[in-house]
Amino acid sequence: MYKTQKSYITKDKKMLDLINENYSLLLCLQHFDIDFSVDNSTVEQLCVENKINLNAFIVIANLYNGFFPVDDEINKIDNIKPILHFLKKSHSFYIEDKYPELKYYLEKIKNVHTSRDFQLIEQFFNDYFEEVLEHLKYEDDIAFPYFFSLERKDKITQSKSFSAKEYRNHHTDIETKLTDLKNLFLKHIKIKSDLNVKRKFLNTLFGLEFDLKIHSVIEEKVLIPLIERIENEQNE
Amino acid sequence: MNKSRKNIAVIEPSKILYEGLFASILKSEYDYSFYYFDSFNEIELFYSKKEISVVLINPGLIQNRLNEFAKIKNQYPDILWIGIIYSFFDNSILKLFDDTFSIIDDISIIIRKINSLCNNNFTNSNESGQLSERETDVLHFIAKGFSNKETADKLNISIHTVNTHRKNIMEKTGIRSLAGLTIYAVSKGIISID
Repeated sequence: MYKTQKSYITKDKKMLDLINENYSLLLCLQHFDIDFSVDNSTVEQLCVENKINLNAFIVIANLYNGFFPVDDEINKIDNIKPILHFLKKSHSFYIEDKYPELKYYLEKIKNVHTSRDFQLIEQFFNDYFEEVLEHLKYEDDIAFPYFFSLERKDKITQSKSFSAKEYRNHHTDIETKLTDLKNLFLKHIKIKSDLNVKRKFLNTLFGLEFDLKIHSVIEEKVLIPLIERIENEQNE
Repeated sequence: MNKSRKNIAVIEPSKILYEGLFASILKSEYDYSFYYFDSFNEIELFYSKKEISVVLINPGLIQNRLNEFAKIKNQYPDILWIGIIYSFFDNSILKLFDDTFSIIDDISIIIRKINSLCNNNFTNSNESGQLSERETDVLHFIAKGFSNKETADKLNISIHTVNTHRKNIMEKTGIRSLAGLTIYAVSKGIISID
């Protein structure tokens, strides 16, 4: 399922054109650790240069353009390592970049707006942030090491500690609270503050929401099916 | 979440037809978001996050899966099903849909059809987003941390009614977490922090 708006990314399209059309692809490149000076490279050239699995890149980059991957495209991905690196990179992006940014703006708003309402919002945000950290830690400490060990075909697989269902519940929760935060700001609570700061806060919130959504689609619709495939192959 | 913006799902194997419908309806004065689905199994997945008002679907896709289709229709009674017709289908299949249109119909007729169906279906929803008195009562207890059962006892109503109110509160405010609802209740003076 997808919302039609941007180009569908294929291997022969020029990265520069794609960035000009949708600059949120920059974030996608960052998570893949690809530099932004893309020159005249096509998607394929860029992937070869950076040693990234082309099919994995195409599936993920297309999510940024609003295209939901179909099974065929997912099945073509024969190496999950770039996906795992991508997800790990985005984790550090959330923890080191996005959430501190939100905290910074909240702090700035607080300087002007001292009411009890706002204290509650700040509390809400802090609790929410704790939850996110916990989830990311779970992925970093339990899920990812397991995935990497599968990838290396290690036989020490402890799949019991990992559950796709738990994974999914975490995500839904994170998305719900983020939407709540947005709605509190946009619909319900009048906060006297510099519009500029408030807009930056909301901007960051929307940006984070967008990336988190893609993040969970990658995990649930791309990674987990691929993991299950590897598990089946190894059990044969 | 936003009642005024309706989501339309299209399940139609012909991409050309989908893109054409999408482009034409998007340019109309009505506010719709369009989503492309590969099969109607995807509806369940999507509906857990966003409501769907209308599904435009090629009857050919349900022809051999009538039981599954009936099940989905039952599961989501609010969804309107509109058939996209471009070949012959038996009347017994066509009558499973709320309405149909032919792809050779004028686009303005198709849009009007979708729109009038949608609005008929939503006349009972409260567009203002204001909580009713009873909903405010329910929120009062929920925000204070009372369970659904306790709230029902306090207000002398059934748990089922509490659940319905709760669902409406979430829809009207756009806030789904308990912590978020508490902040809402405080900001509106429904409960106080102390």
